[in-house]
Amino acid sequence: MSPTRFSFEPLYLAVAAAMAIAYARARPAGGWRIASFAAGVFLLAAPLNSPMETIAAKRLLLIHLVQNALIADIAPLLILLGLTPAMKEWIAARGGARVRARWAILAWLVAWYGTHLAGFYDWALRTGWGLNIEHGLLIAGGFLFWWPIVGGRLAPPLALAYLGAAFVASSFLGLAFIFSSHPFYSYYEHVPRLWGFSATRDQNLGGIAMNGEQTFVFLVAIGYYVSLLLKEEE
Amino acid sequence: MFVLVGRMDEWADTHLAVHMAQHVVIGDAAIAVMVLAVRGPLLVFMLPAPVLVRVAKARPFFSLLLRPRVAFALWAASLATWHVPYLYDAALRHQGLHDFEHFCWVIAGLLVWTLLIDPGAHRRLTVGGRIALAAAMFACGQILADVLVFSFHPLYPAYPGRRGQQLAGVVMMVEQLLTLGVLAFALLRPRMRATRLVAA
Repeated sequence: MSPTRFSFEPLYLAVAAAMAIAYARARPAGGWRIASFAAGVFLLAAPLNSPMETIAAKRLLLIHLVQNALIADIAPLLILLGLTPAMKEWIAARGGARVRARWAILAWLVAWYGTHLAGFYDWALRTGWGLNIEHGLLIAGGFLFWWPIVGGRLAPPLALAYLGAAFVASSFLGLAFIFSSHPFYSYYEHVPRLWGFSATRDQNLGGIAMNGEQTFVFLVAIGYYVSLLLKEEE
Repeated sequence: MFVLVGRMDEWADTHLAVHMAQHVVIGDAAIAVMVLAVRGPLLVFMLPAPVLVRVAKARPFFSLLLRPRVAFALWAASLATWHVPYLYDAALRHQGLHDFEHFCWVIAGLLVWTLLIDPGAHRRLTVGGRIALAAAMFACGQILADVLVFSFHPLYPAYPGRRGQQLAGVVMMVEQLLTLGVLAFALLRPRMRATRLVAA
């Protein structure tokens, strides 16, 4: 199969379309919110319905890990940032208010580490349909994790502690990929290689991409809450 | 002292990670603990009177150095400059330059940790400002650590191993997380409690 061929996970195309329709029907105001929501929906659907999916599922772990970082870290954050206060209230009234930060971070970490366990990852790749479960867990974990932050449920000091704890706790996976000297996933040892990367180098690069993305996202979020803390003091 | 003499100093000649550990201890962790130890009245009695008189005369100069932007700029400049491969290797070849490098770490560390811990209760920075400074230091340290961890080629000719270089990056990451993380937690804790009480 050509690596530039489109592959699809129609489930997430449907989820993204449903989200976009529901959002449009709510007639949100504010350009930046719409832009954020649109970017989030795009980053949720595009990585799973494009040549990126083909390369991720058939060639390179590096691209698979970038895909996971996009759908689990960035897309949910952008989608939640695109919600209007009324939409957030609607979600809070339907269970969102009951989400506790300590459980949200735990669920996110379980999804993050659990889906990257070798047995599960290899199974998901071999079956194909298992990828839907893997991606579903990562997306759900991402929404759960960012909700206490974006939902305005944490004051700046608590938000900083939350983000700091998440940054530290999640970084070990990326570091494990970077420092590994043998491939974790047997599936990628037997697929045709791309761009001349060995399976180990592919995995090391995936760890770098994952760690770099998380460092960027978390430092931006921490910077934002530090600025809020400074404003509070003024 | 412990990291600059004896076995650790010998290992630092051959292992970049150990050399990095030396730097982060003398420029960060040891300084933080020292500044923490001289908080309050002890600070006044720590220096002999003649030295204090001289320090008092140079007060405008120290005040300038202890301006948050100046202190942070000096710290960041020291961090960036001494990790330029050419300078790093030159310092390894010339003991005098190496000593000066360590002196820079100590002075830069002393400046920023004085602001972060505020042993004399001068309140040059608010709690938010101290958190912001810690976050800025962490971000700068992360950039350097990422360069070391993410690089696929050895950057310093004196240390040819890539794995050792990556480990050096992790040493820096972990040390910063421990020192700055503990400080941030200590500063945020009262506010977290207050927030919880208000919420209750």
